Amino acid sequence: MILQIEMEGEVRQVELVQDDGRRYRASIDGEPSLDVTVVLLRPGVLSLHIDGKAFRCVLEESAEGTVVYVGGKRLPYRVDDPRSLKSRRARHGGAEGPKPVTAPMPGRVVRVLPNVGDTVEAQQGIVVIEAMKMQNELKSPKAGKVVQLRAQAGDTVAAGDVLAVIE
Amino acid sequence: MSPAHRSIRKILIANRGEIALRILRACRELGIATVAVYSDVDRAALHVLEADEVYRLGPAPATESYLRGDLIIDVAKKSGAQAIHPGYGFLSENASFAEACENAGIKFIGPPASAMRALGSKTLARQAADAAGMPRTPGSVKGLASLDEAYAVAEEIGYPVMLKAAAGGGGKGMRAVFSKSDLALAFSAAASEAERAFGSGEVYLEKLIERPRHIEIQVLADEHGNCVSLGERECSVQRRHQKVIEEAPSAVVDEDLRQRMGAAAVRLAKSAGYTNAGTVEFLVDEARNFYFLEMNTRLQVEHPVTELVTGLDLVHLQICIAQGEPLPFRQEDISLRGHAMECRVYAEDPDNGFFPSPGKITRLLQPGGPGIREDSGIYEGCVVPLDYDPMLSKLIAYAPTREAAIARLLRALDEYVIGGIRSNLGLFRRILSDADFKAARIDTGYLDRLLAESGAPAEVSSDSNAPGLIAAALFESMRMANGNGPNGNRAGSNEAQPDVSGWKSAARREGLRA
Repeated sequence: MILQIEMEGEVRQVELVQDDGRRYRASIDGEPSLDVTVVLLRPGVLSLHIDGKAFRCVLEESAEGTVVYVGGKRLPYRVDDPRSLKSRRARHGGAEGPKPVTAPMPGRVVRVLPNVGDTVEAQQGIVVIEAMKMQNELKSPKAGKVVQLRAQAGDTVAAGDVLAVIE
Repeated sequence: MSPAHRSIRKILIANRGEIALRILRACRELGIATVAVYSDVDRAALHVLEADEVYRLGPAPATESYLRGDLIIDVAKKSGAQAIHPGYGFLSENASFAEACENAGIKFIGPPASAMRALGSKTLARQAADAAGMPRTPGSVKGLASLDEAYAVAEEIGYPVMLKAAAGGGGKGMRAVFSKSDLALAFSAAASEAERAFGSGEVYLEKLIERPRHIEIQVLADEHGNCVSLGERECSVQRRHQKVIEEAPSAVVDEDLRQRMGAAAVRLAKSAGYTNAGTVEFLVDEARNFYFLEMNTRLQVEHPVTELVTGLDLVHLQICIAQGEPLPFRQEDISLRGHAMECRVYAEDPDNGFFPSPGKITRLLQPGGPGIREDSGIYEGCVVPLDYDPMLSKLIAYAPTREAAIARLLRALDEYVIGGIRSNLGLFRRILSDADFKAARIDTGYLDRLLAESGAPAEVSSDSNAPGLIAAALFESMRMANGNGPNGNRAGSNEAQPDVSGWKSAARREGLRA
């Protein structure tokens, strides 16, 4: 299996060949392959031995994306599937098309700043949400027009909820 | 002390989170039954799961639950609890609540209301400090009646000065003023901020100590006039006047200074008729002069570092004192050994302006091993509500030396994974690896200066990402195996069955959100 994985700003190619249940050979960007053994300790937690070195790897999924933790390091990653529209967009800067303003955490909406139809600049404040006694302004991901507002003051929102769409 | 208190058999814990659990554990160790109270969002919180008896207070907002002293006293009566432990925060420094407990015949585990009143307001505490003959920062000991008075006091002590709210805490109603032209604006801003935050606009002026260290003395007083000091804690690593890392002992306090600060703290506590655990906070300047700051009339968040270096259990002792027992030791019996350091682990994102990060903890791997103590209120699968202080746990290391305690904390931080929400674990790695911190060159402005520097050198050779890339690829292959349906089992046919089902169930669970 060959996967394109984007991690720390670089797209890397990882090739995995399974020898038997727990044994793999892994090659990164066509480099000589590494001997890997894997045990799933519990869902989301892997013990990995790579050429005799031991690692504990923990998977975390949230509305923000997928992250793997290795030895105290937090590594967000994305699988780059050349066939998917999302990946193509992300690769091409992705300024075209509608962009959502999403809640990065659960909270309560304090204020909605623009009205539907308003023209906004990139990084202009769109929605103010409050959690744990702190107010945070969520900004527009691009310059454009506010085409949707899905939240109003007083609403409770969950992480990942789309609060507005800018086109 | 009335003999009724001599044997407490049931305690109501009027708090939540890690401190509620910490008190609950102490009660268990002493054979005392526990009563927990909770708000609607805390039904599945750890302190509620672990207590012997549990009572709902009300909806999530603290004003409708953990701050409802009337409801809490009703629960104590209904459940037959003889005492209430308030923890820290919430009602812990509320003299009216302590008085209401006394009137209801329930022992409040803390000082008497009179001592809380005498020390609770910063201006009254400064007067008490003068009466006890302890050094304090130059400035006023009463609220400023007018801007003219503020000008006069500032002129007398000299700029720069600090404006502070008499009822203050947490940096609210506080302004540093560097010259006369800034005073008028700062005065009205501090007063109105104090009015909003504390319902009292009383502010006073004191001399600004430059680059101070925050060093505090733990005291314990019984109800028979005995009072001891248990050494110092240094809490200079702060952000927005909130402590981030605390340690004991302080690198700059020698035995002579410790004795002088301890004696001053004990004099203050005795003069106010103080009982139970309390903390006297000081600022220490570069010449190692110390100035009284305020007294916290409760158990503090950072009490574990004192427990580790003294070998005492402060919550056990609080309960013994509340039962009317005399302190089981004298000042000369107290000795400090080793070094302890505590990290306050918060649900917030240091990479993104310290954004709060409430939500579900989907993954939790906790550290352990020699010299590591974790006082926590979380478990895998629990939800961190957005209604309260976002502290998740306290990670505390104990070792023979400061250097070894730092190494131990760094080791434990690598074992610690909190997934699903963001936490400040990465911030501690940065502070503990910083040369100034390692050399104990710290003051209350240290962390702000560190954070103002551009982020830690993030770049590492890409080869070191190989484990991360391979792990990511393996997790993704599990996801795909799940997508392939029942025939997508990737485990070898000879592999043990539990392993196979492990892969499959993980893939199923992880695949849901692909």
